[in-house]
Amino acid sequence: MPIFVFDKQTISETEWQPRADVYSTPTGWALKFDLAGVRPEDVKVEVQDMFLRVSGVRRDWIIERGWRHQSMEIAYSRFERVFQLPCDPTTCRVSIERQEGMLVVRIDDERKRKELDYE
Amino acid sequence: MNEQQTQSLPVLPIRNSVLFPYMLIPLSASRGPSVAAIEAALTTEEKELVVVAQRNAGVENPKQDDLYTIGTKAVIRKMARPRPETVEIIVQGIERVVLIRAEQNDPYLRYRVRPLPFPEDRGPEVEALQRAIIDLAQQALSLASPGMPVDLSQVLGPTGDPLRLVYALGSVLTLEVEKEQSVLAADTVVDALRLMHGYLSYEVKVLQLRREIATQAQTEMSKEQREYLLRQQLQAIRQQLGEKDADQAEVELLRERLEKADLPEHVQKEAERELQRLERLPAVSPERHVSRTYLELVLELPWNKGTEDIMDIQRAREILDQDHFDLEDVKERILEHLAVLKLNPAAKAPILCFVGPPGVGKTSLGQSIARALNREFQRMSLGGLHDESELRGHRRTYIGALPGRIIQAIRRAGVNNPVLMLDEVDKLGRDFRGDPAAALLEILDPEQNRDFRDNYLDLPFDLSHVFFITTANSLDPIPRPLLDRMEVLRLSGYSEEEKIEIARRYLIPRQTEENGLRPNQLVLPDEVLRKIISGYTREAGVRQLERAIGRVMRRVVLHAVEGEGKEITATEEMLADILGPESFFQEKARRELPAGVAAGLAWTETGGEVLYVEASLLPDGSGLTLTGQLGDVMKESAKAAQSYIWSHALDLGIDPAGFKNNGIHIHVPAGAIPKDGPSAGIAMATALASLYCGEPARSDTAMTGEITLTGLVLPVGGVKEKVLAARRAGIKRVILPRANQKDLRELPEVVRKELEIILVDRIEDVLGAAIPPLFQKLAVAK
Repeated sequence: MPIFVFDKQTISETEWQPRADVYSTPTGWALKFDLAGVRPEDVKVEVQDMFLRVSGVRRDWIIERGWRHQSMEIAYSRFERVFQLPCDPTTCRVSIERQEGMLVVRIDDERKRKELDYE
Repeated sequence: MNEQQTQSLPVLPIRNSVLFPYMLIPLSASRGPSVAAIEAALTTEEKELVVVAQRNAGVENPKQDDLYTIGTKAVIRKMARPRPETVEIIVQGIERVVLIRAEQNDPYLRYRVRPLPFPEDRGPEVEALQRAIIDLAQQALSLASPGMPVDLSQVLGPTGDPLRLVYALGSVLTLEVEKEQSVLAADTVVDALRLMHGYLSYEVKVLQLRREIATQAQTEMSKEQREYLLRQQLQAIRQQLGEKDADQAEVELLRERLEKADLPEHVQKEAERELQRLERLPAVSPERHVSRTYLELVLELPWNKGTEDIMDIQRAREILDQDHFDLEDVKERILEHLAVLKLNPAAKAPILCFVGPPGVGKTSLGQSIARALNREFQRMSLGGLHDESELRGHRRTYIGALPGRIIQAIRRAGVNNPVLMLDEVDKLGRDFRGDPAAALLEILDPEQNRDFRDNYLDLPFDLSHVFFITTANSLDPIPRPLLDRMEVLRLSGYSEEEKIEIARRYLIPRQTEENGLRPNQLVLPDEVLRKIISGYTREAGVRQLERAIGRVMRRVVLHAVEGEGKEITATEEMLADILGPESFFQEKARRELPAGVAAGLAWTETGGEVLYVEASLLPDGSGLTLTGQLGDVMKESAKAAQSYIWSHALDLGIDPAGFKNNGIHIHVPAGAIPKDGPSAGIAMATALASLYCGEPARSDTAMTGEITLTGLVLPVGGVKEKVLAARRAGIKRVILPRANQKDLRELPEVVRKELEIILVDRIEDVLGAAIPPLFQKLAVAK
């Protein structure tokens, strides 16, 4: 079974990298990205060749007039995370869903599903 | 301009550093505008601002002109406020931007900026430069932390992107702001790479140099160790071959000498101990040299070696007479000592002190004594010596320590019973380093110097066989305890006749020889010699006289060399030609003295002198004024003289009212020369008596003597010099205390015949002789 290769380092490195969990599922894989506070329209999920690329911008929009920063730890501005896929994207199905600030990317491998079906 | 690309952002000026894209740096802001700019950026959704380096770090509130025009757009990654007035942030560079125009100056700077991307450049030059830089960086890394291989990517991150490489190096190296800014502002990627290559190669050179310096110090150290090791090996090889090395041979030689040397037991022991120490010392130790020098001194000192004295009184007398004219008294005393030594060889050698003016033959007399006794002669001058250690030596713990002069002189003499002459003992100095006179106390004490301990030698040396002679021009500066240890022999000045005799016997033959003349080539008649003595020299001794004779001789030599080889007889006219005009005029006796003046006689270091005491009345004044640089003793003696005359005024036929109504002034010329001593007492009394009774004293009479309140005349010193001075000045009569009669023996026959010497007991005798009318008047009155 191919192993999910962890992130390939982005070249420019001027973006921050959101934290991610990787799961293997009965039918493929699932990736969970911690993207709290990021507007849906600011996230872009792309599959290029063998790479899955999640990028976008976290804008600090939850800030009210009169608030003054005392300290800041949350990473804002552009982010990017790239994973190498374990399967050929032509045989994979990628779906995205959002839950309470988390971005979940499901990757269903047709072959794996077939194996499952045989059982 | 494409407004789409431009952005309006707060500007954060920073000092001493440049933020490169990709790089994270922590910044701390406390300046008002900076804090405001950061807060403005924080309230935006993107948290972006522009970081620009200041041209001059000293500017507190930078304006447009104080900032570089190319900066870096950055994102604030983290922020905190450790203190209310300070904001700390971590920013990451995004891209370089050019500042187009200021949009706001207050409360913070806001600029419109445009990204400034590099033109695409992927040529082979970029590749070549990139590789060269990686090589250099690799070198720098291994130089900076030798022996600890560090992966370049650990320090610089991924090195695939040439710009990222340059920026990473720019923030790792500590470059000046101008250089960092020039990298940031480079036009093309190639330019940026070239600049960094240059800076990096400089850095590598510095690191290499540093390494070299460090290794140099290391090799120097190991060279010394190597030498030591080799020496040890050499020694081992020599031992195997049965050879002795040079140092060992030296020790053997010293041992041999030590065995042969005739040393007292305690010295022998000490020397053996030192020799063993020397053997154990390593060859390169500086201590070894010290130890060897010490041993050599111990071996060379004449511990038991002395010369045999020749105890032939007759021979000694002949030698003394040969070398010195007259000085009968001194010679007699020396012969006495000799006689004692003959009868009792264990007797302590005397310590003599010759006192007299310069040039009277003190030093040469010492040489004659050594010759007469057949002893070695060593002489050293103590003049100006002010360090006790010079006499007694430095302790061996000091670097360059030497034995004292006494031990050195003994070593030079090579025997333990030389005649040791300590010249100028009256000119010893004294300061914080110690008092050499105190050291002399031990050296010159026959009871103590049997065990004289030199600091360097640190062994008792017996000085009791040494015949010490000291010389001095004057006894006054010699400390009393020191003087007490010596037998003082006075060598007074010579009279004109004696000088002529000395010149005939010693000076002329010596100068004739020194100047290469034949005997009798120059004839110097007595009157010419006399002229030289009185007109060209003024001294108690004969040094100037010898020099003057030498000059006359050299003139004759010149004539002889020029071909006139005849005998020459010197004349007085020739003297003026050779020696110039006469340098001195004798102070002739004053022809006639007014009332209130009397001639006194004084003793000086260069012989005697006639001095006139002048007294005058100050009508309606009071008290006694004394001038002429008189010392305390002389002032008191003036007061005593005045009191005597006052209290005996009636006996002398003087009106006592004269004392009450008038003040008195006594002056003794020459005013510039300090004078002291009681010997002018009777001269002052005579001057006063003559003043009060109005009768002048006899101008052909000079006097010396101390006066007491009851009118007694006490003896004084220096009679010979004084009488000779009186005769030189043309005085016919000299009044002396009767107690000084014994000193008249010293006077040459001619002088005694020529002068009328009046010996007195009381001041009345003086006044009678000096002012004859005084008592004649009294007799008439009675």
